[in-house]
Amino acid sequence: MSHIKKIRMIKDKIFLFMVGFLTLLTVLPLFHIIYSIVIKGLPVILERGLTFIFGTLSEGGIGPAIVGTLMLTIMATLLGIPIAFLAGAYAYEFPNSIIGRATKVLLQIMLEFPTILIGTFIMATVVVPMGTFSGLAGALALALILIPYVAVYTEEAMAEIPKLYKEGAYALGCTRAQVIFKVITKMAKKGILTGILIGMAKVAGETAPLLFTIGGLYEVYPTNPLEPVGAIPLLIYTLVQSPSPEDHKMAWGAALVMLIIFLSIFIPIRLALKDDIKL
Amino acid sequence: MEKIKMETKDLNLWYGEKQALYNISMPIYENKITALIGPSGCGKSTFLRCLNRLNDLIPNVRIEGEVYLDGKNIYDEDVDVYELRKRVGMVFQKPNPFAMSIYDNVAFGPRIHGIRNKKELDKIVEWALKKAALWDEVKDELHKNAFALSGGQQQRLCIARAIAVKPEVLLMDEPTSALDPISTQKIEELMIELAKDYTIVVVTHNMQQASRVSDYTAFFLMGKLIEFGPTEEIFLNPKRKETDDYISGRFG
Repeated sequence: MSHIKKIRMIKDKIFLFMVGFLTLLTVLPLFHIIYSIVIKGLPVILERGLTFIFGTLSEGGIGPAIVGTLMLTIMATLLGIPIAFLAGAYAYEFPNSIIGRATKVLLQIMLEFPTILIGTFIMATVVVPMGTFSGLAGALALALILIPYVAVYTEEAMAEIPKLYKEGAYALGCTRAQVIFKVITKMAKKGILTGILIGMAKVAGETAPLLFTIGGLYEVYPTNPLEPVGAIPLLIYTLVQSPSPEDHKMAWGAALVMLIIFLSIFIPIRLALKDDIKL
Repeated sequence: MEKIKMETKDLNLWYGEKQALYNISMPIYENKITALIGPSGCGKSTFLRCLNRLNDLIPNVRIEGEVYLDGKNIYDEDVDVYELRKRVGMVFQKPNPFAMSIYDNVAFGPRIHGIRNKKELDKIVEWALKKAALWDEVKDELHKNAFALSGGQQQRLCIARAIAVKPEVLLMDEPTSALDPISTQKIEELMIELAKDYTIVVVTHNMQQASRVSDYTAFFLMGKLIEFGPTEEIFLNPKRKETDDYISGRFG
């Protein structure tokens, strides 16, 4: 009897050790990525100071790329939110209809869709007819990536609101639209906002959909969304391909800026979710 | 003579294949409180929700029979269900104020029905909160979030929200089951007060409550209306054995 017990205890210990070890192995790369970006990127930024943030590429800075990334992210968000919100609200309101169910499935597929295909799609439908790369084309590609995030989060946040509130609104004589826009949206706003931020964090760092859409612009600041613009991830991609060690240094600095932008969108999300758990 | 405000005729309801209500025919008298009693799952809440067509929201529900409001069948095709729900208001089992200020909660109904004038809204909010006996407790903090109120206050806020659209009938689905005894007493006093202006139908698990507040009582059992009559008669002199058994606590 005690022999079996002992074996079970050993098995349990081995199991716990394996789980802990594998978990550590999974998250280790993340820490290593952050560590190496900071170690290699920080000296570049410190050495060049404000020039790195505001200067053009020949001055040793990535100013136009930062502005380009902000511009693309904001445009994609503004283009994507209305469509995504309505799609999410539709999937929420008609969960049993064929179109409602199809919307949900298609949104899930869109979430995982290879982003480079979205880039080629926008190239064929926007870039080629317009005859030029443009910020608009890039923003459209990014909007297509952002939409499923916002839509899925909207649907899920709405579905979490207890039925009681929906019925309360209907009992006052609300129409369907009034129930959704005046009651459910207000109560689900935290979840919807989380979806928007996650979508923004995701598109701010995307490279593939920008490859064939925005062209790149690093010597002057972008002013016109109908003309080519630059973006930090695309700049990193270009710099890393260059043989020059100087360019590689620039790429590490740009990577750190990218990381900071990503974390400054992502950390508020985690904090917001923490609040939810307290409730 | 009592005036009939609402009336159901041979009302049957199915959830999918399962029948939940069988041939319910009963009157609801104007400016009276009608209590619906019976054990859990007997169909009393389902019946209540037929009166403002809230069951329409549930998929796979089939309803046969008629429900009259002032002589008009509310299940007729030409009935505007949103207008109907404005006339037949509802208070739920659990307080369900919206995530907004006390003021906005009460003004919500009037606003969706087109009242925009701030002065008019102020007047309605004050009137409704006074009617719901909540005004004195909240008049200095109307713009505080409704979730900050206690459960009993939230329920009175929901009553204020319901009467702010000036309904004719007020349906209450176990309005005190989630409340403490003192809040319950307040709501019961309020119901008696409101019955002067409104027709009230209340579902309750609490037999004492039914006997304290209601003028008429309907006893439901397994989807059937077993007995309906003046509350005193139902409680003191029930005609059916099932009613007697339930009221004297032999099952339930």
